[in-house]
Amino acid sequence: MASVKPSLRQFSACIGCVRRPSNGLKSLDGGSARFLSTTAPAHEELQTETATPVPQPPLPSVPTEAKASTKPEWMQQWGELDPNRVEDKRAERRLIRREGIQPVGSRRRRAAIHRSTMRNVPQVPFEQLPYQCFQEARKFLLDDRQEKLKQIQTQTLRLRNLMAQDPAVSGGPEAKNARVHSMRNHINELVILADINDPVVKKNFEDGLADMNKPIYRHLAQKKWEKHKKLVLDQRLTQMNVVPDILPALDSKLDIDLAFGRKKVEPGEFVESAISEKMPRLRVQSFESGEKLVSVVVVDPDVPVPEKDGFKYRCHFLASNIPISPTKTSIPLIQIEQQDRKVKDPSEKKIALPWYTPWAHRGAPYHRLAVFVLEQADSKPLDVAHIAKTKRNDFILRSFVDKHKLTPLGATLFRTKWDESMAGVMQRAGLGHQVDVEFKRKRIEPLPYKRRTERMR
Amino acid sequence: MLLPRIWAPARIAASTSSVSIVPCSRVLDTLRVARGSAASPTLSFARHASHQSQGRANGAKQGPGKRLGAKKTGGQYVIPGNIIFKQRGTDWFAGENCKMGRDHCVYAVESGYVRYYRDPMKHPKRQYIGIVFDKSETLPYPPNAARRRKLNMLAVRRDPEPATLEGQVVVGDLQVGDGTGSVTSIRETIRDDHVLRGKKGYAFREANWSIGRAGERSDVQVKKFVPGDRWTAWQRSKARKDANAEKRKLRNAQKASKPKRKR
Repeated sequence: MASVKPSLRQFSACIGCVRRPSNGLKSLDGGSARFLSTTAPAHEELQTETATPVPQPPLPSVPTEAKASTKPEWMQQWGELDPNRVEDKRAERRLIRREGIQPVGSRRRRAAIHRSTMRNVPQVPFEQLPYQCFQEARKFLLDDRQEKLKQIQTQTLRLRNLMAQDPAVSGGPEAKNARVHSMRNHINELVILADINDPVVKKNFEDGLADMNKPIYRHLAQKKWEKHKKLVLDQRLTQMNVVPDILPALDSKLDIDLAFGRKKVEPGEFVESAISEKMPRLRVQSFESGEKLVSVVVVDPDVPVPEKDGFKYRCHFLASNIPISPTKTSIPLIQIEQQDRKVKDPSEKKIALPWYTPWAHRGAPYHRLAVFVLEQADSKPLDVAHIAKTKRNDFILRSFVDKHKLTPLGATLFRTKWDESMAGVMQRAGLGHQVDVEFKRKRIEPLPYKRRTERMR
Repeated sequence: MLLPRIWAPARIAASTSSVSIVPCSRVLDTLRVARGSAASPTLSFARHASHQSQGRANGAKQGPGKRLGAKKTGGQYVIPGNIIFKQRGTDWFAGENCKMGRDHCVYAVESGYVRYYRDPMKHPKRQYIGIVFDKSETLPYPPNAARRRKLNMLAVRRDPEPATLEGQVVVGDLQVGDGTGSVTSIRETIRDDHVLRGKKGYAFREANWSIGRAGERSDVQVKKFVPGDRWTAWQRSKARKDANAEKRKLRNAQKASKPKRKR
């Protein structure tokens, strides 16, 4: 088929679908079973894409008349170039050259749209594309999904019966609890397995349209976080020794993003003192359903104490009773402080120890500032007025956690050291007397010389 | 090994079968020969091809000893940089407050007391060398404990910057004037170029860059160099040579006046 363009040849329907009029083109009987989620037809999709605000500058689908008039004649002869429909390299280059805009999406997508508009067929939803292997696979996956749904039904029924059972019959309360626990886990697994093979779920997740209230999207988000971001975070926490120094062990369960204003901070990054003078904002993504109350603590474990030739710990910030959930991810500390000022009742306040700007002496080694997010026991609110009495200096997080029965959920850190704006920051924080204190390395006296026979003794 | 070739006795016996007159001195010889050559075989040595008896074949002989091993015993006080153990490869690994050099020698990074120990939590088979700060401490430290670390620094109060102006402090980004904000309140600091200035404990001296610009402050007039002007060049060359000759004369005169030391 030399006359047909290569892309069209690729996308013509395969022999199997031509011979067997596939059921995929029509929707399977709507009846009892709920299928893998369906997409709107692609052209409707396009419309919604252009309608919703897009982070990139919006691309015009059709070149306007005004633009056409300014272009030279030989460019205008190229005809209509739609960024959603150009498929070959020549057309793409022309589009970029004439309109100055990039084509939208992948070439395969553009070819499919172009071909379908050329043939004037209604846009086929993605999951109904007539490729035999794809449809056969889809059938298999649908069967599997039905199986999983049936299993979920039976398991929930069994769980309900078990809950209703008398503990004496099920072998004691501990055994019953263990069984209930493992049955719940099994049901959660089945729920995820039912949806994990759905391509539209994957697409929604990758496009950022995931609803975190649904377990499958939480699962996908967790897997993505664990693949790279969690590894980097854990590595930074261990190599900076945050974990043995401040807490004995920490299993990160939250994805924490730290930012000062608009500036995002990677874990372990040096932050200029002028920037860290104000409170940061946290974005905390939880992967477990339900709302929790958390406390946020910021600890500096590197405050130098030259009299003891050691270090002491200092608390820079302490706030409690902050609600988080898979959909409530933002902890804007500055806004929380503003709300606290409006609230009259001291028990409604959230910030126990206000933000103390991170600072370091000149010449001293860098200070690590670890931000911890700790879950409060049973999501019960803590008494903020009582907590506000904790001392900032010599603040030991281990004992604080034990005292108030908190569980560490996640942590992140940034570092600070002397820089150009540090002197001003210290002046404004009332530490003017520390500005001209410099730390110099102590000279270590060499050991007395020993003669060879003395050394060998 | 050169093997002797032993001639066949049969041939010799055959050769002496014919009776011949033998002088009496030779009787014993003849008898010996007739009995056979078993008693005294004639040896003939044959040389085989030479082989590598010289060179590397038998392996490197013992060279001078490299003084490997422990240089500091357990419990000995060390300072940073002291080598504790020299080795080929890693019999011992660097543990707490120790590092390993490029030749796998373990050396101290902190002042303290040496400890030789094993830490199964870190590695089931390895042995480590570490430094503790207190003589009563032992390694390995309990797992998940906060690190013990030393500051090794002194807090020193810096001299305020010489560029202060009537009590106004210029600190980093914060410039504290007299608050009026008028032009005269925040003034540029006056720099005194060739003032003697120095840090505490150092000699008071002029800054190097200031020394370099001494010429600008002096009254010396320097004629501009004109390339191609041989007359001026000759004048200066002659003046220099005369001056050198004067100096040499003075030096020799001094040497002549000085009494020579007897060796």
